[in-house]
Amino acid sequence: MSALTALARLRAMREGTAQRITTVRHCHVSDRPMVFVPVKMAGEAAAPLGAMVGTDPDHPRLLVVPQPRNRDLRFAFAAELAEVLLPYVEGFQKATETVERKGGEPYERCLEAPQLLVPNRPAAEFTGLLGRSTRFRRADGPYPVHPSVPLLGRWLTYFADRSRQPGSSLLLAATEALGAHWATGQSALEDANLAALLGWIDPPAGTTGQRAAEEAEDPLLWPPAGPATDPGFDNEVLAPAVQAYEEAPTDRAVARVAEALRTQLEPTWRLMWRSVELLRALPEGSRVAGRWEADRGSFTRFVERIAEGGPPQARRDGAVGAAARLAGLERARASYDVQRAYDDPLVMAEYRLTGEAFAGVVTAVEPEHFEGEGRSRKLRPLVTVRTDDPVRLAPGAAVGSPERRGHGAEVVEVVEVAGTGADGVSGAGAGGAGGGPVEVVLKVTKGMGRGKTPAPGAVPEPGERVCYTSLTDDFQTSAALPDPEETPWTHGGPPEEYVPGDDDAQEEWE
Amino acid sequence: MSRLDDLRGPVPARAHDARAIAALAANPGCARRSLLDAAGVDKDAAARHVGFPAPFGQSQFAITRGNVFESLVKENGCAELLRLLRELMGLPIEQVGYRDVESVGSHLRASHTRALIDRAARESEDSAVFYDHPLLSLRIAGHTSYLEPDVVAFRLGGRFHIVEIKSFSVIDGQAEPEKVAAAARQAAVYVLALRALLEELGHDPELVSHDVVLVCPENFANRPVASLVDVRRQLAVLRRQLARMTRVDRLLEGLPEGLTFSLEPDADGVPTRSAGELAEALRRVPARYAPDCLAACDLCMFCRDEARGCGSTDLLGRQVRDQLGGVSGMDEALGLAEGVREPGEGQEEISRLLRLADRLHRECVA
Amino acid sequence: MSEPLDALERRIAELRAEVRRAVKARDTSLARLLRADLRRAERAWDEAVVTEESAESGESGGRGRAEGPGSAEGPEGAGPLPREAGAALMPIREQVHQALLLLGVPTAAKLVVAVNEAFFAGGLRSPQLSSLRRDEERSFRSDPYARPYYLCAALTDRLSPARGLLAASTWPLEARVVGPLSPRVDFLTAATRIAEHLARLAEPPPGAVRLLSRMAQNIPGAVEGGFGPVDPATVVGAARAELEVHLPADTAQRAEVAARAGDQLTDVERLFGAAALSTLRGAC
Repeated sequence: MSALTALARLRAMREGTAQRITTVRHCHVSDRPMVFVPVKMAGEAAAPLGAMVGTDPDHPRLLVVPQPRNRDLRFAFAAELAEVLLPYVEGFQKATETVERKGGEPYERCLEAPQLLVPNRPAAEFTGLLGRSTRFRRADGPYPVHPSVPLLGRWLTYFADRSRQPGSSLLLAATEALGAHWATGQSALEDANLAALLGWIDPPAGTTGQRAAEEAEDPLLWPPAGPATDPGFDNEVLAPAVQAYEEAPTDRAVARVAEALRTQLEPTWRLMWRSVELLRALPEGSRVAGRWEADRGSFTRFVERIAEGGPPQARRDGAVGAAARLAGLERARASYDVQRAYDDPLVMAEYRLTGEAFAGVVTAVEPEHFEGEGRSRKLRPLVTVRTDDPVRLAPGAAVGSPERRGHGAEVVEVVEVAGTGADGVSGAGAGGAGGGPVEVVLKVTKGMGRGKTPAPGAVPEPGERVCYTSLTDDFQTSAALPDPEETPWTHGGPPEEYVPGDDDAQEEWE
Repeated sequence: MSRLDDLRGPVPARAHDARAIAALAANPGCARRSLLDAAGVDKDAAARHVGFPAPFGQSQFAITRGNVFESLVKENGCAELLRLLRELMGLPIEQVGYRDVESVGSHLRASHTRALIDRAARESEDSAVFYDHPLLSLRIAGHTSYLEPDVVAFRLGGRFHIVEIKSFSVIDGQAEPEKVAAAARQAAVYVLALRALLEELGHDPELVSHDVVLVCPENFANRPVASLVDVRRQLAVLRRQLARMTRVDRLLEGLPEGLTFSLEPDADGVPTRSAGELAEALRRVPARYAPDCLAACDLCMFCRDEARGCGSTDLLGRQVRDQLGGVSGMDEALGLAEGVREPGEGQEEISRLLRLADRLHRECVA
Repeated sequence: MSEPLDALERRIAELRAEVRRAVKARDTSLARLLRADLRRAERAWDEAVVTEESAESGESGGRGRAEGPGSAEGPEGAGPLPREAGAALMPIREQVHQALLLLGVPTAAKLVVAVNEAFFAGGLRSPQLSSLRRDEERSFRSDPYARPYYLCAALTDRLSPARGLLAASTWPLEARVVGPLSPRVDFLTAATRIAEHLARLAEPPPGAVRLLSRMAQNIPGAVEGGFGPVDPATVVGAARAELEVHLPADTAQRAEVAARAGDQLTDVERLFGAAALSTLRGAC
């Protein structure tokens, strides 16, 4: 949370409506996403009650477990979900493109990938648990399930795992996606309620966001978006319906449970598609496509893994696997943060606030400045930028600029501008260590071409507004981790390859 | 304590269960809550009366599941629990004694628990391993609260252990951290109560282990799995908060004469005082609202409404408050940011930051 | 869908909302009234929908198979409905007695039900057993020893009835009292009896094998690794081994309690236990 976001929340509070905290959208929104709204039975880890799922806002598929304590009905639910989800996922596997790689074999990548949208983080976690409870099942043996069930489990697990990867859009939680672009006048805790969050962002005509959010907290008007249900609904509506099914498992009893669940799921279903519209309406950031490409690559590799008959994902990572995974997540987080800043001046402003970035006007340029002698003589154009931002960059710091890809520079010195003080136009909050405006002298080191003079446009012109930051996206490729086979004994030694056994397949799901 | 009785009015003090006592430690800085709890006021009823009922409820599915799992762990003389403790703590094979405290009838449970625990601590030769349905008590600000741990186990390494049976699942060795934390806080209350009992009986309170045995279902089945949870930190927090409650006098000092939160009912069971009067009385004691209250305190909706009324930045959560460097009003913070308000003493730094943030924001959205 | 059904559905939805509002406001009496209205409306809907269905030549108005896995048959899912007819042939008390005779020790209702399900008619439910002891006591009081056996209580070392345990009046007092070690001894004994009974059957019922497997999990050495069904002989061996550890102490404790019960209690109390403060003594 930065002071900028804090301020946006205060403004939202005053205006009674949510405030944008980005200028562009930072997640991919598919042309044909699949919305999945699951609900689970209270008090159980992974007992589905039902779900609303589909790709057509006007035709959701309602799946129902009339007696959630019955394991056979749970697997029937999983098989039905597979009927909807697997064809959707498989639809993206056929069309591929060939990607050339520097110093490697070219490879195939799916042109498009599926996108699963769930209401909130608990729904994403529940998706993972559903995956965990179904991926080890078998179509034969003592507790046989439909062959689609274990495959569904692997896909659900994949989506849930992927959703923990910063910057990935294969599975998005609506509250998180919206919350990354808007600040409301309530707390983060209250933002976890999808109806309340949308109330702030998109209040119905004639009412304020705060009023709309208050109304959204009444479970009778706006049922919770799941996976937890409203206890009042459980006790007054669902329990008698399940009881009736228990006494006489007729079609009518099933219909009664289905109708009960429909009342709880339908409002959220509509909110989900409203969220999609709102997100689509934001202009897409320029680096979103690149991240989606990585998602498509990941999706393609998982498709191949399944096609090659690889085993389901292990219950737990080995020591090296876990460390690699954590390092990967950290890298993804850092890279995602930097990319967002480069794509979005409002995000970059957070770094200007802390002095890791600055923006200002070019006051002087020396395009044909050289360094060194003889053979090592190099073109190093000098650029002077005047800024009111509090620069906290030391001489020698490498900086990049969102305006020019491939452009790199180094801070030469930061000089306070004499004669102006804190009473300058920009007033309080401006300037370097002393509080006033400063001039930053930079030498350009990258991206001006190989000639004796810089390529046209490679060096900023006087009077141009520019932004520079020490954030860079080229991270160390990987922490030096041993191969899994060389795991030291202190970390449990080399892990045995995970081969799911009978225990996994027959694990109870009561 | 008579001042506290006045605050509550002529209705019985509300007894705290372990969950409520554990929750006391959640927001120790809130004077309103400390006072209401010390006086034993029924906060839930008060919240309903002033028109801000707490948004809490429990699904009967969850209750049923909890009961079924607990009875499974305890059936056949705690056979499942016995297996778990043999595996987890190497309980010797001959240690299998089981005593159901409740067999004496509910009115004698507390004294029977006392007698059995005393005997166990005195002559461990004859003691059982399991004491089922024990009833402990804890004095809180002059009132006795009765507490029902699931099981007290003895002779695990010569010490008493609180056994807490919870029906949330441990999946591949992982449980939801908030649920484990809540269970640990609750179990700490039992540890404290049992230690108090031993001390009262003249035994060493350290006979009660600070490790509690947490029993949960494993993965997606009902099969229980046990783990030890160290609750020393929770104990320390709890002791501190309880000590604070006994120093409630300081809170009482500043209160207006005749202040009361009485919910005394008329013949129809409706409180005789108007909702307005009660709300007014509540507002006389300062609250410290935080969004976390929404998960813990019966009065949360009332206090949130009050915080909204005065444009408090508390509404936005601690992260925002931290960013605002202690500026507590929305108008004040925005005034500083937009330069229409002069920073007060000590606000220069935060004011500079807010103005910069405001400038950057305007620059970016222009 | 026809007019009255639409109206009923609206009414049902409204009532549900009202019920939940009342429950939230803890107005239980109002909630109950509303709930009654709700049930009536639901019943009316049920009736109306049937009428409509038959009018529409028996088309099932529901959403069809996709949401109606009405075939809940499965390893655990054998519905209680067909069973109840058979079970009704034998009174509940006789079914309970049958299970107790197999087990031979004071037993909680849940295990009685499980044994009945595993070996006998099945269809017993725990709630049916909760009033059993009281009924038996009433019968005994009005006409002592008129029946060949009574389902009675087990007695604690305070000579009060042990919570939730059922016993047979025909057992000697030593078998009907419980000390601190008795729950374990009785569990091991019950497991032994079930295993022995299983071993005698040519075709062991799968439900009984599952019951024994679950019990065996909690007896050291009774499960020889892996999945697969348990071996009754192994269970018997393991249970006996642990029993040897506890039996001497348990037997002594039980004998002591039984002697006290014999000295101090009336006939009724000997079967159904003394109230904690002996208030019963004056009553009979």
